[in-house]
Amino acid sequence: MEAWDAFVEIYEPLLFRLARSKGFQQADAEDFVQEVLTAVAKAVGRWVETEDRGTFRAWLFRIAQNLAINFMTRPKHQRLGSGDSQIAGLLAQHPDPHGESTQLFSLEYRRELFRWAAEQVRLKVSERQWRLFWMTSIDNQPIAQVAAEFGLSVGSVYIARSRITKRIRETIQTLEEQAR
Amino acid sequence: MTIGSSHLPEERCADQRLYLLLDGDEASPEFQQAAAHVESCAACRDRLTELSGDHDHWQTQRELLTPIADDQPDTGQFYRYRSTETIFAQRRSIDETMVKQMLTAPSHPEMLGRLGRYEVERIIGVGGMGIVLKGFDTELNRPVAIKLLAPHLSRIGAARQRFAREARAAAAVVHEHVVSIHNVESNHANPFLVMQYIPGESLQARVDRGGPLSVSEILRIGVQSASGLAAAHAQGLVHRDVKPANILLENDVDRAYLTDFGLARASDDASLTYTGIVSGTPHYMSPEQADGRALDQRSDLFSLGSVLYFMATGHPPFRAERPMAVLKRTCHDPHRPAWESNAEIPDELSDIIDRLLEKQPERRFATALELQKKLERVLSDLQQGKLRLSRRGKSNRTWWIAAIGLCETALLAGVGYVWMTSAPKQEPPTPIAMPPASTQSVESIQARLQSLEGPQQADLDRLQYELITLEVTPFPEADLKEPTNAQE
Repeated sequence: MEAWDAFVEIYEPLLFRLARSKGFQQADAEDFVQEVLTAVAKAVGRWVETEDRGTFRAWLFRIAQNLAINFMTRPKHQRLGSGDSQIAGLLAQHPDPHGESTQLFSLEYRRELFRWAAEQVRLKVSERQWRLFWMTSIDNQPIAQVAAEFGLSVGSVYIARSRITKRIRETIQTLEEQAR
Repeated sequence: MTIGSSHLPEERCADQRLYLLLDGDEASPEFQQAAAHVESCAACRDRLTELSGDHDHWQTQRELLTPIADDQPDTGQFYRYRSTETIFAQRRSIDETMVKQMLTAPSHPEMLGRLGRYEVERIIGVGGMGIVLKGFDTELNRPVAIKLLAPHLSRIGAARQRFAREARAAAAVVHEHVVSIHNVESNHANPFLVMQYIPGESLQARVDRGGPLSVSEILRIGVQSASGLAAAHAQGLVHRDVKPANILLENDVDRAYLTDFGLARASDDASLTYTGIVSGTPHYMSPEQADGRALDQRSDLFSLGSVLYFMATGHPPFRAERPMAVLKRTCHDPHRPAWESNAEIPDELSDIIDRLLEKQPERRFATALELQKKLERVLSDLQQGKLRLSRRGKSNRTWWIAAIGLCETALLAGVGYVWMTSAPKQEPPTPIAMPPASTQSVESIQARLQSLEGPQQADLDRLQYELITLEVTPFPEADLKEPTNAQE
């Protein structure tokens, strides 16, 4: 069930962004998110019946990916509808691995993975440490300057940003190992 | 402190010391030493960066975390298109969709569905092993809790068999501090068990919400849990998953219940079959469990020791970023004594916890019954005013001084905490500004003081006076955060 939680946390914003990048309006994008997640939830029963099913997490991430990519490659926005056969069709279709949508999906998936991990780590560190990390690692501000601004030594800024970077890397690694 | 010319530079620049800076406890002297060295050694600073993640990682991290579209620039606050409440509500509806797949249609529209003779009302919780539902037994006319084996486990033969076997064994334990099992349905497509419904919350939720408990509450819950455990042990059962989430506290009644006996086993099978699914928290596992060695009842005593520690300090004894690291620490590192984190904890209780957390099972208490007796004795001493605060704590302070120290800590820690949040009761970080002593905070301090054991009425009166003086002292504006409630 933790697999399910992590899945929703990553996919919800990811699907929303994908829909927006396809030119959806806010409300349509929200509907899209809800439809895909509901379709996946309904498909959980199907996983149980699959013979060669591997881990739940890997399956979850794979079918959602298929569903999202297939959805994006369709010419026009059609509602997914509630028909099980329609969902089954979308799930079974294997998307072209080199297609434009697949490429976009994997970039946005990776982005969300990093953002999700960053949010997890952020909850566990102080705001000040987060700022040190963010300013020097993402905003690219010189470490000495940031240290002076906060009245800290250069070494402690190095330690703070490295600690956070390592935690983010490990959070991603743990999830990827389980989704494989 | 003997760092000096006698140390070779290679030694001082060893990766091991840098890893300490990345993962170690910031309060430890080793950490401080390594930090001081890094200050003057540019090579080590570079190496530290490299050890935390290679060049590619830093590069990708920057590219992917750089604000896009509607993100807040500068702060690293990502745009989320709706409030947390909406997200939770949505997630709940998705959970319900999934659960409905396992139920038959309900007979009332406001119910979620039906499982045999049980009407399912709502989802209580979703855990690693399965889903807990609040239901109603239509034949016996009573509310029940239903635990449904997770769909991804329900088709695994071994998991099903274990679930049934262990549930039956657990049903044999009848005790006032153990949640009773009414029924086990193992032939159903999704096996489930039906339990006594306890209106209330788990110990985990209680501490998350209100912070560490008072000494008398810790002892009371400890005595009751130990007695429940003793009853199970008498049946030859090992619980295997004693943790705060598995201790339920009934509303308005001072009663704790142990739940989820032996179910941990069924999930072990699943993780063996499907590598990668490791459910639950490793924080309360015993070293022998972490090591995969043979277990006996003393393993549960270690876990109960971790639970006592959690009640006393608000966090488990061994913490780390990844589950594997927690297990490693459980097996090899000593824990920090509870009284060091919480000055309210008397030596007698701290010592009991230390003994339960012994790595060698034979050095712990021999039985849950022995632990129960021991805790009962301490509780009775406490009630008779025979217990004193830790003498190992802050020198020879008397009770009320320590209590005042406590409220000072509460106030100081409220000041925008500066460094890693992992060590709640260490020296308060450099205060930026004093928070206002709002009426609310004064009340909460008073409430806490009332619940402390030990001080005489005169001490309380004196404290009351201190608090009044505090209240009228003007402080500059600052956010007041309860130190124990860092969750939200």
